[in-house]
Amino acid sequence: MAEAMAPATRELSLQQALNLALSELLAEDPKVLVFGEDVGALGGVFRVTDGLAAKHGSERVFDTPLAESSILGLAIGLAMAGFRPVPEVQFDGFAYPAMSQIVTQLGRMHYRSRGALRMPVTLRVPSFGGIRAPENHGESLEAVFAHVPGLKVACPADPQQAYTLLKAAVRSDDPVIFMEPKSRYWQKGAVVTESADWAGARVARVGRHLTLVAWGAMVARCLQVAELATEDGVDVEVVDLRWLKPIDTESLAASVGKTRRAVVVHEAPLTAGLGAEVAQRITERCFGTLRAPVERVTGFDVPYPSGDLEDEYIPSIDRILFGIQRVLEYRRG
Amino acid sequence: MAEIPFPLPDLGEGLIEATVLEWLVAEGDQVERNQPLVEVETAKSALELPSPQAGRVLKVYGAPGEVIPVGDPLIVFEVPDDAAGIVGTVPADGAPTRRVRLSANLDDD
Amino acid sequence: MQRVQGLGRSGAAGSAAPPVPELPAVPPMTAPELREVYRLMSSVRRLDEAAVAWQRQGILPAYAPLLGQEAAQVGSAFAVDRERDFLFPTYREAGVARTLGVDMVEYMSTHRATWHGGLWDAAEHRLAPIQAVVAGSVLHAVGWAHGQRLAAASPGDPQDPVGGLGVAVAYLGDGASSQGDVHEAMNIAAVFAAPVVFFVQNNGWAISVPTERQVAGGSVAARGAGYGMPALRIDGNDAEAVVSATRRALAYARAGRGPVIVEAVTYRRGPHSTADDPGRYRTLDDERRDAGADPLERLRARLLGEGLANEAFVAECDAAAAAEAEAVREGVLALGPRPGAEMFDLVFAEPTEELLRQKAQWRKESEHG
Repeated sequence: MAEAMAPATRELSLQQALNLALSELLAEDPKVLVFGEDVGALGGVFRVTDGLAAKHGSERVFDTPLAESSILGLAIGLAMAGFRPVPEVQFDGFAYPAMSQIVTQLGRMHYRSRGALRMPVTLRVPSFGGIRAPENHGESLEAVFAHVPGLKVACPADPQQAYTLLKAAVRSDDPVIFMEPKSRYWQKGAVVTESADWAGARVARVGRHLTLVAWGAMVARCLQVAELATEDGVDVEVVDLRWLKPIDTESLAASVGKTRRAVVVHEAPLTAGLGAEVAQRITERCFGTLRAPVERVTGFDVPYPSGDLEDEYIPSIDRILFGIQRVLEYRRG
Repeated sequence: MAEIPFPLPDLGEGLIEATVLEWLVAEGDQVERNQPLVEVETAKSALELPSPQAGRVLKVYGAPGEVIPVGDPLIVFEVPDDAAGIVGTVPADGAPTRRVRLSANLDDD
Repeated sequence: MQRVQGLGRSGAAGSAAPPVPELPAVPPMTAPELREVYRLMSSVRRLDEAAVAWQRQGILPAYAPLLGQEAAQVGSAFAVDRERDFLFPTYREAGVARTLGVDMVEYMSTHRATWHGGLWDAAEHRLAPIQAVVAGSVLHAVGWAHGQRLAAASPGDPQDPVGGLGVAVAYLGDGASSQGDVHEAMNIAAVFAAPVVFFVQNNGWAISVPTERQVAGGSVAARGAGYGMPALRIDGNDAEAVVSATRRALAYARAGRGPVIVEAVTYRRGPHSTADDPGRYRTLDDERRDAGADPLERLRARLLGEGLANEAFVAECDAAAAAEAEAVREGVLALGPRPGAEMFDLVFAEPTEELLRQKAQWRKESEHG
């Protein structure tokens, strides 16, 4: 990576955008540390940390033993010592062994210490399904993370968001769970490295009739749906939530206030999913103008299935269209 | 005779492409199953692809250095009709398809 | 523990830890047993190499090769009592499954992305489903084993405690030994004297991290002393050493004396998985230096050298292995996707109304064909 010579815009995959952001963060702040399982010589199983150990030193980019609770515990202790740790758990499902550290420690250390101990930890979690991976390699944990007091949760949808959001997350003095959509790692897109647009949600596509709210890999799918809907004369707006906690309620209200219809789409199971939270916020702000209850198109309340059944589980274009249709044909009374 | 295309499989947990390094067979060659066909490099590693089947190589795609997306043709075999079969499935990232049509009266909007 | 008068518990502080018990001896393996182990290892070697090729041919999305660990896997599974023991694998135990007689199409189905745990009947084969979480099943093994003790002690239980207990075999690697659950499992097992064999395949690498960066002190077996647990550290590429060590451990656990660690030192000759690239973290020279003799070739040389088998036997094993791999390939290719309804039907024994509603909606909107 030659960021010193960086042009304003470059074509990068999502994984390369993360790599560039990490490299720049390591260069700009000597307190930044990157660690986890196989992040050193191997460069991470998705190559997000490729070359970082060679470039920034194996003291600052290092492999840990295979122990997620230890990785989080290390991060918390390093943060107490003034570092800015960027740990990785290799796959979403391996956040579970670290859950006690995440919930009982990371999320409340600042609170417990009355602000004396900051937790500028960004936990990178390759997340969600879609790659025919083994069990516990396709989990959608956003509702779990978002429910934990003291944590913030970010989720990029494309290379630009990956770069910008990771910069913002690592520079934040609070713990951020950074959920990387692994089915989008190798998708390329333009990245403007000077972009300062990192706060809140963003409108990924402007439309008039209905708002699709999504995050991660579902944003690209919703953009496809929006294009198909134009064939039927329906003009769909797509809001990329980006921050799953805190949720940018203002942007949701602005979009749905205009379109008066909303469908929220996520891969995670339905019950107690983040879609319920999004729907409630929209309802609170737009109850008077909503033409229909907010619909949810989500995964099912089942364990994430094996690859052969993935496409049955992840919201498909047709299931999202069905959800849109339910909203369009809703009549009061 | 039947033609059997072999598309580039996903060689590792959600990869979308691979770069051809070197072809180890040429068009016209008769190959056996598991015979090394081509050396490719992905974002994760370089590896040799063993032939999924026996047959005559009808066509190869991608000169050394060329990038082939997962699911795109890599090689086409020609086999006797009764040997034609399906080898695996490759998840495609193709153009979106739909079954569901929307109908709405948006006049009052 | 000895106590010094008047000092209470603190009086024991200066005394030596009690000695770790000895394991019983077992007789050497017979020639037919060695031949059977060789036959199984040949089969596993061929299947494993074939599965790597299947991944590159687009048949399997991913596979975790066991190349180099055939003696450790076949040897340990060969030693168990298939009627009453229960084995807890990770995701790299094709050799264990094959030795237990699991249908290898049903085993490979997990790598085919058909069903995560595999399609075999875990209760019937006494092999738990494939486990993707490293060290995820180690505590389960302890729980199962404690259950054997409880069942044997129950009044009126038909099981004869005199005849010994069913033993749990927990498979784990050097990488898994870093997980806190492994400490908890070993501690509880020792406190409860649960009949567990912790079978550690120390294959030198946890993906890219070598054992010396993973295991403090370099040995998982050495930890046994801290738990007062017998531990064997053996040449995991020597099939007979593996069988004998596992038999000794099983006999000890079966007699109700408690858990045992067997650390089989072996070498992961291949990549961690078909998505891995060892060239990034180790050289071919490293591999040549560290791998040692190939376990399959080693056993073959011994069988031929000691006159326990002849070339015809070796050739017959090779041919059978090739035919078997071919049959499994056909079976794997013929595996269709499971019915999508199984996603919903297999979640609960008693499905909820909400899940049935979701299933109905899925049928309406998505079900194909």
